Amino acid sequence: MSPLPVGLLCAALLAGSVALSNPFAIAACAAAAGALLWASPPPRAMYVWFAATSALLVFVVNPFVSVQGLTPIWSGPQIPLLDTEITQEELVFGIAAGLRLIGSAMAVAAFVRLADGDRVLAALARVAPRSAMIAALASRLLPTLEQDATGLAMASRSRAAQLHRRRPAAALAAPLVGLSLERSLMLAEAMEARGYGGAVRTRTPQPSMNAPERLLTVIGVVTCAVVAAAIPLDDYRYYDLLGDPFTTVGLATAALVGLAGAAGAVTVRWARRPR
Amino acid sequence: MSHALRMHDVRYRYPDAAARPALDGVNLDVEQGELVLVLGESGSGKSTLLRAALGLVPSFHGGQLAGRVVSEGLDTREHSPAQVARQVGLVFQDPESQLVMRRADHEVAFGLENLGCDPREILPRAEQALTAVAAGHLAERETGKLSGGEQQRVAIASVLAMGQSTLLLDEPTSQLDPIAAEELLALVTRINRDRGITVVLAEHRTSRIFAEADRVVVMEAGRIVFDGSPDEAAAHLAGSAPWLLPPVTQAFVAAHRPELPLTVRDARRLAAPAPPSRRELPAAATVVGLTSVTKRYGEIPALRGATTALRAGTVTALVGPNGAGKSTLARIATGLEPPDGGRVEGDGVRGYVSQNPAHHAVRERVDDEVAYALENLGVAAPERARRVAAELARFGLEELAGRHPRDLSSGERQRLAIASVTVMRPQLLVLDEPTRGMDGLRKLALAELVGRLAEDGCGVVVVTHDIDFAAEAAEAVTTMARGRVLADGCSVDLLAHGGFFACQVGLALGCATIAEAGALLRTETERAGV
Repeated sequence: MSPLPVGLLCAALLAGSVALSNPFAIAACAAAAGALLWASPPPRAMYVWFAATSALLVFVVNPFVSVQGLTPIWSGPQIPLLDTEITQEELVFGIAAGLRLIGSAMAVAAFVRLADGDRVLAALARVAPRSAMIAALASRLLPTLEQDATGLAMASRSRAAQLHRRRPAAALAAPLVGLSLERSLMLAEAMEARGYGGAVRTRTPQPSMNAPERLLTVIGVVTCAVVAAAIPLDDYRYYDLLGDPFTTVGLATAALVGLAGAAGAVTVRWARRPR
Repeated sequence: MSHALRMHDVRYRYPDAAARPALDGVNLDVEQGELVLVLGESGSGKSTLLRAALGLVPSFHGGQLAGRVVSEGLDTREHSPAQVARQVGLVFQDPESQLVMRRADHEVAFGLENLGCDPREILPRAEQALTAVAAGHLAERETGKLSGGEQQRVAIASVLAMGQSTLLLDEPTSQLDPIAAEELLALVTRINRDRGITVVLAEHRTSRIFAEADRVVVMEAGRIVFDGSPDEAAAHLAGSAPWLLPPVTQAFVAAHRPELPLTVRDARRLAAPAPPSRRELPAAATVVGLTSVTKRYGEIPALRGATTALRAGTVTALVGPNGAGKSTLARIATGLEPPDGGRVEGDGVRGYVSQNPAHHAVRERVDDEVAYALENLGVAAPERARRVAAELARFGLEELAGRHPRDLSSGERQRLAIASVTVMRPQLLVLDEPTRGMDGLRKLALAELVGRLAEDGCGVVVVTHDIDFAAEAAEAVTTMARGRVLADGCSVDLLAHGGFFACQVGLALGCATIAEAGALLRTETERAGV
């Protein structure tokens, strides 16, 4: 898909996840980003796994590193560097922080899966041609690096290496870097052989947006406006005592963002339908 | 007639090369519209010659170049590769490492953008080029998800779209299955014949292209040692390097026959094929048995109920088209991947040698590399040293023990990869595509090596696209397609008379190996003499 409509909606959800405070609004951003990722082409599982485990880690760790909140619910033994007095505010803040992480990770993942990488590179090349070459190398290298990592791991396991242990697994990093350098040289040579670096370069005309892309642009613009308007109005506080989340701004933002996520996901499915 | 390429006394040395130059006094003139086949062993300078024709050496690789290279009238000392690329296109060996963009049509458009082509012309020209190589249906597909053959077609379309008049191809079929390789070579021939595009092709698989070439150039140690017509080249190589000839020609050389046919058709005119005969494989114990094994990768089924028995003390070739499930079956048989369903039975140590020998280079020294598996198995130091020394000697690597694995030649790397696994003394050894980019002589050495391992009792499975190598090296053959095992049997039955998977000497003379075909021809000659 064209990077513009996808980028608008994903940027709005990313900004909302990071800058909004109301837990319902944050949860709505995470749900909307999740819906968008669900509508994207596979693979999706690794992004979901990364987002979920990171969020869980933040939720678990937060109460033990925060020393805030006035509503204790459990007190443990004293352990140096850890706060073992768990408060209700710390738990809710941990949930919100986890949801922020899920929302931002999934918004980025949805953009990666949906936006046409070649068009992103072409757009980048207009403003920074040198960076575009590096980005092109990196975008091609990542899949081959993944294949090389799999190949190295398989060849080592075939030689009885216990790769679930840290040291044998870490020992594969250096050969992997060597292989990736070889690959990047080959790719750079192939680019030069196809005339990259010549004096005059033109661009393939980009196709005009189709109906789903135009609709997604509208949804993205509306979501950006909703989030931009909500950020200065959303004054929800977690500490010292939890604020009332049932505010008009919080609930309206959550409803609108959730609606935008659902509409975005349906539009993406429509765009991906074979014609 | 004007020249597409002129090389005059070209000498080139890579920046890190110790002694021998990669090109050593090369003189070569290629006329417009010619199809020139460049032959030679690995490391003979074929790839460097093609890179020099585009100016990538020394411009990209550095090093010292002497002499003069003029491609399509452009002197590479005065013009950058980007300028020469307007007239001369180069397709590399590894399709994966030359594709820049994510989508196939964008990939083809990439070169046109670099040429500064009128934006309105880019997409129509890209579409035309894809259609010309029968890849129009791939336009919107992701390049990373195409098969090797499809990727190579897109790479050729990318070069054709640029409207260049000379096409350089560096072993373009080395990673393709026999059918995809034949299609690609037929395409190259068509481009040359119909469009008048000059083609310079470096290739190890010569069975299809040898007779089609206008000229054959033979390289050795950076020099051109022969330059002439295919018939003259056959006569020259018959005495010096017969392994560079098509297998069917090699059979006539082995029989000391004066005629040297270059194609199956010519060979059939000269000799009658052996009648089909069924041979039974000798009884052997099963090392690993697979029953109704299934495996999926996401939505794609890789194995759909594959059943086979891998035999001890036998070299078995696992053949089939790209995507048949050969590598998946091999990894499951060696215990590197679990099956989704079905049964895998087998005990003992099982080893797997990856298709990329670089995946077996994780240490700084050759001897440490061989010791790696034994360290992982917890073998005591004295026993380890003894076994490493024995393995290095077995594979002729003793003198390289202190070298870095990445500094070895491709053939040495391949031997090291195998030694690093066989040091565990596996009951089953799987070699995944071991002949990728390997010349004929190295293939013969590898066939001999796997034969010795099987004689020692090891069950050896060679997963390969190279049917001629499979016929030479293997006693048993398992054919696969679409995730299923089609047949298990003797290589003579399946590769000599098998039709679809038949090797070249099989098609021509009904024999599986060059030696057998040579013997058949000798007998025929003797009878005729009587």
